[in-house]
Amino acid sequence: MIFQKSPIPGEDAKRFFQIVPERRKMIDEASNEPLPVTYKVNELAKALHPGTFPARISAIREETPDVRTFTLVPAGSKTSFPFFRAGQFITLTSRIDASLVTRAYSLSSSPKQALAGIYEVTVRRAGLFSSWLIDRSAVGTVLMVGEPSGDFYHDNLRDADTVVAVAGGSGITPFRSMIHAILEGSENFNLVLIYGARTRRDIIFKEELEDLSDKRIRVIPVLSDEKADGYDYGFITADILKKYAPEKASFFLCGPDAMYRFVDGELVKLGIAGKYIRKEHNAVADRIMSNPKVFTLNVRIRDQKYSIPALENETLVVAMERAGLAAPSRCRSGVCGFCHSKLISGAYSVPEGHEYRRSADFKFGFIHPCCTYPDSDMEIDVPTV
Amino acid sequence: MRQYDAIVIGAGNGGLSAAVQLLNAGKTCLVCERHNLPGGFATSFVRGRFEFEASLHEFNGIGTPENPGSARTLFRELGVDDKIEWIQLKDAYHLLSMKEEYDFTMPFGLEAFAEASEKLIPGGKAHMERLFSLGRQIRSAMDYLSESKGKPDPKVLMEKYPDYLNCGSYSVKEGLDAMGFPQIIKDNICAYWCYLGADCENLSFLHYINMFYSYISGGAAIPKHRSHELSLAFETRIRELGGDIWYNSEVTNILTDSAGHVNGVRLKDGTEIASRHVVANCSPHVVYGQLMDPAAVPERALKLTNARKFAGRGFTIFLGLDRSPDELGIKDHSYFIYDTCDTVRQYKSMSVFQDNSVQASVCLNRADPDCSPSGTTILYMTTLFTSDIWSTVTEEDYFEMKNKVAASMIKRFEEATGTSIHDHIEEIAVATPETYARYCGHPQGTIYGYESQYRDGLMPRIMMVEEDHFVPGLRIGGGFGERLLGFPSSYKSGVNEARRTLRDMEIEGE
Repeated sequence: MIFQKSPIPGEDAKRFFQIVPERRKMIDEASNEPLPVTYKVNELAKALHPGTFPARISAIREETPDVRTFTLVPAGSKTSFPFFRAGQFITLTSRIDASLVTRAYSLSSSPKQALAGIYEVTVRRAGLFSSWLIDRSAVGTVLMVGEPSGDFYHDNLRDADTVVAVAGGSGITPFRSMIHAILEGSENFNLVLIYGARTRRDIIFKEELEDLSDKRIRVIPVLSDEKADGYDYGFITADILKKYAPEKASFFLCGPDAMYRFVDGELVKLGIAGKYIRKEHNAVADRIMSNPKVFTLNVRIRDQKYSIPALENETLVVAMERAGLAAPSRCRSGVCGFCHSKLISGAYSVPEGHEYRRSADFKFGFIHPCCTYPDSDMEIDVPTV
Repeated sequence: MRQYDAIVIGAGNGGLSAAVQLLNAGKTCLVCERHNLPGGFATSFVRGRFEFEASLHEFNGIGTPENPGSARTLFRELGVDDKIEWIQLKDAYHLLSMKEEYDFTMPFGLEAFAEASEKLIPGGKAHMERLFSLGRQIRSAMDYLSESKGKPDPKVLMEKYPDYLNCGSYSVKEGLDAMGFPQIIKDNICAYWCYLGADCENLSFLHYINMFYSYISGGAAIPKHRSHELSLAFETRIRELGGDIWYNSEVTNILTDSAGHVNGVRLKDGTEIASRHVVANCSPHVVYGQLMDPAAVPERALKLTNARKFAGRGFTIFLGLDRSPDELGIKDHSYFIYDTCDTVRQYKSMSVFQDNSVQASVCLNRADPDCSPSGTTILYMTTLFTSDIWSTVTEEDYFEMKNKVAASMIKRFEEATGTSIHDHIEEIAVATPETYARYCGHPQGTIYGYESQYRDGLMPRIMMVEEDHFVPGLRIGGGFGERLLGFPSSYKSGVNEARRTLRDMEIEGE
């Protein structure tokens, strides 16, 4: 005998055969009240991550000749928007002619404003969607909003207490959110904003930034195309970074890829460790080729099949948008994985700097269509939205 | 309307294995998953230059290709094993307990573990050998129980598995006390308690020893490409067998006919799909409380569900560090870090934010040196919360609260292991019960199903599996199932519920 607890022979085994009757008794004695239909932790999850929801443009403000700030308010029964981390982005979706287009925009408003039912995005006229927003949307236009996401925010366990924010052009938007978050107390760090613009006229939020008087925030505009009193001039060089950055700082970069390439080199000169450098991911651009071919892209969504054209120089998500298909799209830079899809057949390329798939995705043939260019006819199985 | 022989709700471990089992039997099957990926908890995510495992610390029951464990055998039967690359773990665990000043590194292998126990206390080897022979008997009895489909012959049990019966109704504490082990041996045996998540006065001795024996005798492994590899292996198998799998397709209703038999599901977008059989890979709380028309839920199903207790709500920190494990001084793969080995006290401390002092931590590079770029480290720290304390957190406080809890866990890890990691955090993600609720929909963010307790432990659940079946055409499998929590249990549960569904089909003449 290896195990015996009761000194009375047979008592332990008897106790074993009692478990089932005991369990029956447990059920007999239990309440027959209806089960909860919801739970508080799940409600919090839903409040922070509701997926997509409608919003209405309530105001449009001109910041510079080609930049507008759009104020969004809830279009449904809700009175608030999900809370977020300053620096995160939302997506906006709208039908534009025959296409169903989604784009990601950093929130330029503050987290607490979200709870009051206000999101703001600040948009420069550039591509299809931002041009549509500026030229064709109006107060009252309803858009679908995708919940805040992204990891371009200050994390006190990871980052230094001071963030040196390097912004180029409309890359100012997440930092505007951070400034307001610091002021309202939803974020707690020091911010040195080094803001590169072509001329004074191109400085977005100029008056607002000039009016700031908080010892936690410092704004240094750097003009590349204009010399003016009180402004630094030129590119954002190691000298400028050194002049304004404290000994220990995290460098947050948001701007065009060309700015990243330049500032990266300057940060190397300063010997900044990689973990103190974070960049907001830019959306994948078209690949540059003179005579892009047109391939056939076969798309399965649930049990529906679509055969659509796909331009060689555009990503698969763009092809699906052009065809008006409701396909998942969020970050458009490859990093969020929201468009994770099964590759059935075909050859493809992923642009450099946008490969964020999981290692098993390579093994089993999964792709992120938002950063995949077709190199042949292709067939993919895409989740519905 | 579209029609399938069976519909699986949820592509978690239990749902995926159920689908493969049904398809292997030649049935048509649709899997509906609310998320955009398969796997539920069995997934991974990328941050910067790191790919983090979402949940799996170590997979038990794989064994070697020559000497397969029960889970590998199951994976072979399902046709997924050849799609998975396993990495065998070297040591079992490193136990650090502050109050008792324990600092043990324990190996896998019965003999090695027994030898190492002798070093803890003279006689330790003999104690462990006794426990292992009980473990062997429990293992054979469990096999017999599986064969008997939950209806064992009491005579066979009494004749062939007397010790199994004798220990079967006791808690871990009662069982270990009855075996007369010294405290240090008891404490060391209990190191894995947080993997089952009930304190040792409640946790079933039999259930615990079954798991403990399985770990120590068979070792543990991890999939090379995180558990996303497991999920995609199943996903691929489902496609190979002609099954359908729909993502972003949440089932909101299980439909029943006037006789109370399942006859389909409705998705969030209103799509209805006909089927006489559903395997739900989610909690009975969700099935009976949210997916079914209350009028179609039998009273006894309601009562059983109300009687059950949610097990631990998950909390995990995922760290990508910019130094190698050698540079940081992290020696082992698996750490259990406790304030004390008094599990009742620990369990209580886990109900409040500031006192939670339990952590199971894993350095992935110690199992797979190539898991992250050279000169970096992946480190996870996991704990459970044993109350609904996270439901007191507001939207506005949420981000601050998760980093507050994370900061104290990181500090505790540093103190216990004598390492310094806080200046090397390049990437961090923190999953709270809210995160688990978000991705898997489990009530209150529980990741461990229903708590293993005397009246709702492994044995009574297995023996009452048919009594716990209430709605014709509906089977519920996964981590809330009769095998309780854990990866191997969830896969096994899914297969079992699929087999029962196949039997239901046979009986109904389909």
